[in-house]
Amino acid sequence: MKYTLPLLALTLVSTLASASSILVKDADIYASSGLMVKTNLYIENGKIAAIGERTPLTADLEIQGLGMSVTAGLFNSSTQLGTVEVNAIEQTVDFYSENEAVTASLRIAEAFNPRSTLIPHNRVHGLTHSLLVPESATHLFSGQVALVQLGNQPKVIHQSLAVALDFTEHGVSLMGGSRAAALVQLRQALDDAKDFSRNRKAALAGEHRDYVLSYADLAALEPVVNGTKPLLVRTNRASDISTILNLAKDFQLQLILSSVLEGWMVADEIASADVPVIIDPIHNLPNSYESLGARLDNAKLLADAGVMLLFTGMDWHNTHNAYLVRQSAGNAVANGLNKSVAIAAMTTNPAQLFDAPVSGDIAVGDIADLVLWSGDPLEVTSEAELVIINGEIVPMESRALQLRDRYFERLKQ
Amino acid sequence: MKNTFLSTLIVASLLLMTGCSEYPGLDAPATRPNKDPYPSTYIVPDNAAFAILNANVLTGDGAELRDTDLLVRKGKIIALGTNLDLDASVSLIDAKGQWVTPGLIDVHSHMGVYSAPGTANHSDGNEMTSPVTAQVWAEHSVWPEDPQFEKALAGGVTTVQILPGSGNLIGGRGVTLKNIPSITVQGMKFPGAPYSLKMACGENPKRVYGSRNTLPSTRMGNMAGYRAAWIEASDYKKSWDDYISDAEAGKDVDPPSRNLRLETLEGVLQGDIRIHNHCYKADEMAQMIDMSKEFGYEIAAFHHAVEAYKAAPMLAENDICGVMWADWWGFKQEAFDMVRENIALVDYAQACAIIHSDDPIQIQRLNQEIAKAMSAGNRMGLDISPAKAFRWGTYNAAKSLGLEDKIGSIALGKNADIVLWTEHPLSVYSHASKVWIDGALRFDRDDPSVQPTSDFNLGIIKAGAVRP
Repeated sequence: MKYTLPLLALTLVSTLASASSILVKDADIYASSGLMVKTNLYIENGKIAAIGERTPLTADLEIQGLGMSVTAGLFNSSTQLGTVEVNAIEQTVDFYSENEAVTASLRIAEAFNPRSTLIPHNRVHGLTHSLLVPESATHLFSGQVALVQLGNQPKVIHQSLAVALDFTEHGVSLMGGSRAAALVQLRQALDDAKDFSRNRKAALAGEHRDYVLSYADLAALEPVVNGTKPLLVRTNRASDISTILNLAKDFQLQLILSSVLEGWMVADEIASADVPVIIDPIHNLPNSYESLGARLDNAKLLADAGVMLLFTGMDWHNTHNAYLVRQSAGNAVANGLNKSVAIAAMTTNPAQLFDAPVSGDIAVGDIADLVLWSGDPLEVTSEAELVIINGEIVPMESRALQLRDRYFERLKQ
Repeated sequence: MKNTFLSTLIVASLLLMTGCSEYPGLDAPATRPNKDPYPSTYIVPDNAAFAILNANVLTGDGAELRDTDLLVRKGKIIALGTNLDLDASVSLIDAKGQWVTPGLIDVHSHMGVYSAPGTANHSDGNEMTSPVTAQVWAEHSVWPEDPQFEKALAGGVTTVQILPGSGNLIGGRGVTLKNIPSITVQGMKFPGAPYSLKMACGENPKRVYGSRNTLPSTRMGNMAGYRAAWIEASDYKKSWDDYISDAEAGKDVDPPSRNLRLETLEGVLQGDIRIHNHCYKADEMAQMIDMSKEFGYEIAAFHHAVEAYKAAPMLAENDICGVMWADWWGFKQEAFDMVRENIALVDYAQACAIIHSDDPIQIQRLNQEIAKAMSAGNRMGLDISPAKAFRWGTYNAAKSLGLEDKIGSIALGKNADIVLWTEHPLSVYSHASKVWIDGALRFDRDDPSVQPTSDFNLGIIKAGAVRP
């Protein structure tokens, strides 16, 4: 562990933002191929050009990385970044709608604000991409899931990766309060979407039967029932997870599970269905009757069963402090998860599953999307020294840092 | 015959009224009502003396001791140093290379008053039926079986202050508990700990009551509400002061009627009850400080003090602690001006800086929250050592509770509230390995028989199983 941190990055990097070549010397590199200890990393024109002995001896920007580490840029796989500024100020909150006429058709990406002050705050701490997941306020279906990149020009990468559905106690409460009633309505919606898909022209011409959901919602569900787009289902109780797995099988849906606080109890079922899960490994409290089995080694037990993990967190700070996904990952490792598996859950796994423009890895030829950490990559006392997103160095600037500097000047007097 | 019967009745009723005074109705002194009607029943368990040897110690009050031994007897730390004189009756724990700290203290928790599961029946923390509810006491809501307590214990938390919520201007009394399993809250109450009073600035009270179209609906309404309460409390205090001085002067006077609401506020004016004030913003802290001077009381701490770094010199000057998170922000406008260096900057300005959780997840790892706050400070060049940072969860927290003479540091004569860690306590990979409270082992990571679980978990967690 390091307690005294070098102060190189804040000043050096901002002056060399345009460096066309970067050499990081002797850092520990965490790649999907394995850990490379005390290894050089050379980046040229935004790409990883060489690793190890073949790196050049000089570069525009040279950083002594001994005792530091490099990982791919971090993903948080469940956030509302760019769609909320202050939660208690409803005018700034766009990640759910109370309009009952808009469910699966809501595209959270259309509300994304690339100038949100939350984005620089998160990227200076190593978050390079995040999944935007809408929340349910009127229906099980909350809308369409997007991927955003948090670089110097934050942008939406994918408008609609999946349709999100809330089958937690909250979602069920919106459908009349019984899981059984919610499932009736869910099957009806999926059947309707299939019917709509088969009779689209007649339906839009008003020459077909009525549906509960709007045409826009049914159109949004069409690729889901046709098996070309995943349904992302938030659910927690072990029996609810099984129910959703069975439903996905019946309807031949692609499925991603989210939250799964009791996932460890049905880990084998999830694994044999080959369904990836988005989880926050920090939870261990019986906060509700759907999470009586929550435990800190949920991530480890799921991974042991062969389930692909994607991480979010930490707890409800998954938007303003979405970078704290790293602390959740560290706690998963403290509770038994393999460290490279934990890092993959924030890098390669989401990059691949969500078809990101970066690899989520550190390999020659890849676009540089990475973080240099002052120490162990999961340690709470490690700080981001250098953040590169999609080949570009990110300036270490944020509203919080401006406030800090303003008041430190006053306190020094 | 008739007269004798009557006079017997009168004597009997006098006895009933005054208790068993030797001279009924005559010399009983005029007093205020009992200040401790729900007393602690906690007793320090009998435990054999033990010593922890060769440990690295963060003392909790700012020092780091390497390769140190400490001896615990009758619940107290009675020796600290090297080559201690230990007789054969002392059991030994070799902690070579391991780290020891005082038990962590969370001065802002709602465990027991917002228990898990978080269902409506467990919502006992906010009496939002009137903006000033100084008459309610958090301890009367605490459910001792809340399964959150045991998880905080596994994180090394030995003392917690349980507060009412922040929906009201004056929310009620807080209580300080030892984090031990008990059937009753009285069994957890920290003997002799002062009571606290929860007050709240800013958005919450004005939102709650403004939405009902009653005062306060504005920040100026907030101030008017507190001040009206302190005026009432000052009058109430005077009525009792007058009663006691008149009675002592031999006058035949009746005591004033009791008023629970004003009794608590009077306790603040007398200096018995400590103000713990939910207050995010620097400008509102200044108003609260002026108000404390207007009515003659002191403020122990500002909680959720997101803008404490702006107010740090004012906090230092008035000896008020800033109680802070490492990084929470943005959920309300008053929490928008967060800096990760908040705790470090308050410490830099030589004010009393404290970490708190207000959260059943983060209370389980206050050590990590301290570590993040330290790291942010070091990143800006403040050079904060782990020993100095650990004060934020130990000595400084004890000071805000008025308990710094009993807990919050590894020092001679202090209560033996001790945590042995698996790794450096400021590492994300570290776990509390053993936790002692008053010298009694309350948690042992390696021994399931010393990992207490709530009645609630029986039948959910299999018998004998341990769930992290």
